[in-house]
Amino acid sequence: MSGPSVVVADRPAPAIPRPYTFPAFARERLSNGLTCLLVDLPGRPLVSASLVMRRGAVDEAAGVGGATVLAARALSEGTERFGAVELVEAAERLGASLHADAGWDATTAGVEVPAARLGPALELLAELVRRPTFPAAEVERLRDERLNDILQARADPRRRAEEAFVETIYEPGVPYRRPAGGLPETVAGLDRDALAASYGAGIDPSLLTLVVGGDLAGMDVVGLAEPLFGDWAASPSAEASTEPRVAGAVSERFVRIIHRPGAVQTEIRIGHVGLPRRIDDFHAVVVMTTLLGGLFNSRLNSKLREEKGYTYGASASFDMRRGAGPFAARAAVNTEATAPAIVDTLAELTKVVEEPVADAELVAARDFLVGVFPLRFETPGPVVGSIAGLVVQGLPDDELQRYRPAVEAVGVDQVLAAARAHIHPERAAIVLVGDADVIAAPVEAAGVGPVVVDRSDVEGAVRTVEA
Amino acid sequence: MPVPRVTFTDDRLANGLRVIVAEDHLAPVVAVNIWYDVGSKHEVQGKTGFAHLFEHVMFQGSAHVAKGEHFALIQGAGGTANGTTWLDRTNYFEMMPSHQLELALWIEADRMGTLLEALSQETLDNQRAVVKNEKRWSYDNRPYGTWNEKLQAHLFPPTHPYHHPTIGSMEDLDAASLDDVRRFFQTYYAPNNAVLAVVGDCDDGQVRAWADRYFGAIPANPDIPPLGDLSLPPTLGAEVREVVHDRVPLPRVYVGYRAPVFGDPDLDALEIATQILAGGKGSRLHRRLVRDERIAQDVALFAYGFVGGASIAAGWATVRPGVPVERVEAAFHEELERIGQERVSDDELARAKALIETEELGALQRVDERADRLAMLATLFDDPDLINRMLARYLAVTADGVRDVSAAVLRPDNRVVLTYLPEEGEESATEGEEAASESEAAA
Repeated sequence: MSGPSVVVADRPAPAIPRPYTFPAFARERLSNGLTCLLVDLPGRPLVSASLVMRRGAVDEAAGVGGATVLAARALSEGTERFGAVELVEAAERLGASLHADAGWDATTAGVEVPAARLGPALELLAELVRRPTFPAAEVERLRDERLNDILQARADPRRRAEEAFVETIYEPGVPYRRPAGGLPETVAGLDRDALAASYGAGIDPSLLTLVVGGDLAGMDVVGLAEPLFGDWAASPSAEASTEPRVAGAVSERFVRIIHRPGAVQTEIRIGHVGLPRRIDDFHAVVVMTTLLGGLFNSRLNSKLREEKGYTYGASASFDMRRGAGPFAARAAVNTEATAPAIVDTLAELTKVVEEPVADAELVAARDFLVGVFPLRFETPGPVVGSIAGLVVQGLPDDELQRYRPAVEAVGVDQVLAAARAHIHPERAAIVLVGDADVIAAPVEAAGVGPVVVDRSDVEGAVRTVEA
Repeated sequence: MPVPRVTFTDDRLANGLRVIVAEDHLAPVVAVNIWYDVGSKHEVQGKTGFAHLFEHVMFQGSAHVAKGEHFALIQGAGGTANGTTWLDRTNYFEMMPSHQLELALWIEADRMGTLLEALSQETLDNQRAVVKNEKRWSYDNRPYGTWNEKLQAHLFPPTHPYHHPTIGSMEDLDAASLDDVRRFFQTYYAPNNAVLAVVGDCDDGQVRAWADRYFGAIPANPDIPPLGDLSLPPTLGAEVREVVHDRVPLPRVYVGYRAPVFGDPDLDALEIATQILAGGKGSRLHRRLVRDERIAQDVALFAYGFVGGASIAAGWATVRPGVPVERVEAAFHEELERIGQERVSDDELARAKALIETEELGALQRVDERADRLAMLATLFDDPDLINRMLARYLAVTADGVRDVSAAVLRPDNRVVLTYLPEEGEESATEGEEAASESEAAA
């Protein structure tokens, strides 16, 4: 019924690429110094607007871990003009989705709305960010939700692995050692005053940026923004953001197993402290990581999934924040394959450090990164998000225009240098969430490092109280 | 706010391949999406998981594509690719920079025409292992991971092909043979069983010329067996309940209902009901259970549309520590009953519709979403123009319609209730907290 003759053997060659550049944005300032970045995207009627504060979980004092994320979530719980439900209903009537969240590096509040209703949507956004009231009862509820979510995270092997991994690789006192949303030790004590203080510390409008993208034809966005944001004064408690102290805790490779009895898979995290975003060899690192653990045919995925069938997917990445987030190779493998998967992963990390990559691999990674670039920015949301990212990381306005030429310029030598400088399999932590009773012995026998088994999830941190 | 009309052309090759093309030159990108009219509903007992395993095998090469080369070619061209399998479908899609469209069409044709040339026991074994790990990662190694499988099993009788989950069982996956794969391919992977949609920066005439060049010689299969009658009574007939002990810190109540089939306007009204009930912070379940009474950590309710007899409406409420599960379940059911008794307010209805409109605007601005919808609507309804009429259908839903469909669907004798509880002997969250404060006091 079928055979090669029913199809065309010759692979087609590409046509001439249509020119593409990342859209330029206009830079304006309101009368209080608040920056507006406007990117006109003709034909995109759904506008995305994002207010960016370069203040995130990394800027928190040690005792209030989780306050930034919780404060961002609490903004919509009540403002001077609206209760929480009234606010969401007002947004829904506009067909707008209003949201606020925070991560390690920044707090952002934004709205997506059809262009015709941008004015009223920005009004709601202004209300949200300028006049939150942090109602005590709602803050308490959100705090409890976060505490419950931590319980859920610890029961989910994927999330448990992430929490255990950062706890292992960072020294105590480094903010990145715990999740951005905080752990019970600090979250339990958060109240509305703590959130208001945390949020207030970030309010200096001369340091804030409003990014708006979409079909802005005929719209005076600055004219809309000035009455809403232009008289916003700095909070008396505004603080400059800080750069975090980041120190790694692991000097020699070892294995930590979080015991999960009967687990049919092991969640594997292998890595160490990584890199901040602003490094000189950023593009070389991106190319290197793509071929190591980003492409479908990356070294890790090819080996662990397509050759060995150990996993549904293997990857590796640097989480480049204002400070040095983690570097990790990740995979979930069937329990019996745990030790061999670790050995194979370490072999790939070692190989990329010791040997120059093949030209074909380099070209595959570069071609992907360059070719896929326009596909990332089809709609306003990702365009606005990426511009916000430049603001948060303190990158030049033309960073995205320079991306593709910079990637094209990465050669085999730069990839090797980047691997040598930044990947350290000899001092990686190997963190596993799986059935220690099955995997500890084979992992020990594999000789990848001393093995420590942590049974506290099962046995509980609570001791029986003697009556 | 009007949603832009999708203009497309729709025609078939001589071998039955339906080709739908919509030009959009705004961005230098193009989406290719090919739906085969085959899903897990075509599987029989003993051969579950097959359509999805087969989807994996489709990426393993064909006459002119080596194993591993599929992604090398697509990603090397700056594209992305994937596929999905579900009860009613298997689809394969790429998004490419527009100057690489021809490659995507060539590669889809090569595997449609010649997959068997490259198929080997080795690649089958390899992808079987991958799929088994997908099952473990997605379901078996997750808290509450069995919920969907159980809902499907209770909502559909064992003789109905929606009874089993698309991922299949480990035993059936192990039993899949090369012969099974060959026969499945020869039966279902034929041009007259497929719809090819191309949306984006392309030229209609050029796309059709390429479609003819690359797919035109692939023979049709005139003997595709029809699926039997999958019709079902609209309701279960009696409530079904199951308690599941699992490694979970918080109890959770799942509900499932048989719902009107995809394509029935009553399902549109039910989707509006689920939006009003659980679509965000202003919704009834969220306001009552999460915000006001503080008995639930989170709530959800949504509908999946299927064409084979019934759709599924499903949802859950996660119980907060220290709260009796029965209280959460009762409150959940009360809200679902209430929406079937009293008409929703004009404001609630208007808000739900405004949100749906914005969602449609957002979804349709992406070429990959447009391509998938065109292919889906052609495959399931022989009506790709529905892409331009779906929003109007939602906007036409009335408050009476919402009440009536809710009364018909969200009722005790049509529901499955799964209660997930922490494993026996495992400390619940509340007990842990109490014991901790005791030990602190004693220290």
